[in-house]
Amino acid sequence: MNLSLILVIGLIFLSSSCDTFSQVFLKKSINSLDIQVNSIKKAIRFILKLILIPRVWLSFTFSTFSLLIWLFVLSRIDLNFAFSLDSMHYILIAFASGMFLKERVCYKRWIGTGLIVFGIILVSLTK
Amino acid sequence: MPKNKLTLKIILILASTDILETFIHFCFKKSALYGAGISIGFPDGLFLFMKAMALSPYLWFGLLGALLVFAFWSTILSKIDLSIAVPIASLSYILVPLSSIIFFHEKIPPLRWLGILIILSGVILVSLSANKKDIPA
Repeated sequence: MNLSLILVIGLIFLSSSCDTFSQVFLKKSINSLDIQVNSIKKAIRFILKLILIPRVWLSFTFSTFSLLIWLFVLSRIDLNFAFSLDSMHYILIAFASGMFLKERVCYKRWIGTGLIVFGIILVSLTK
Repeated sequence: MPKNKLTLKIILILASTDILETFIHFCFKKSALYGAGISIGFPDGLFLFMKAMALSPYLWFGLLGALLVFAFWSTILSKIDLSIAVPIASLSYILVPLSSIIFFHEKIPPLRWLGILIILSGVILVSLSANKKDIPA
């Protein structure tokens, strides 16, 4: 382990944020399609229509960034430590789906999110 | 149509998703080790790192695994509710640390295990809060 804790948390935060953006863009694109996928033929049409949406490519780009940062973190840090901290994407997704997708985030989800934050703090203390 | 019948077939798919998920993280860690010695500078170091990653077969195994998990997950969610699927699938929060002990000889102090268990309970609580409206049938 040769990176400082703050830098590791920052990088995992960046990777998780990229992943969250990727998910939001993908979800927005899928929402805009409104095709019922109930046969192979329709599934192929769904995928073809999906990859024509520019936002989907934005989603792939963010995904690639996220993976690249993640690989960099893993090249310096123990897997179990990084993996536990990576659960912060649950928190980011809860915020992002409330903000960008106007999904309702209920109290149970906030309690769960709070537990995740607490767990992440405990894990961070062990580095 | 209620989607909460947990059949043996679904449990088997969920279990294989857990194992695949752990396999993916194993592969990414393996490929990341190829880049462990590369100091990151811009742009040379970054390109060297990317090249090392792309040339590592483990990266591609990991990506293939991710594609499979996506397919498995789509199948599962068309059969049971997310709030039932996620708690079973979160077993990877235990399996990944275990595999990092076995394959990478990492050490996990007790306080970290406690943190991992709390994170796991949070993840399960989040998935229990999944509204049926969240998942289009």
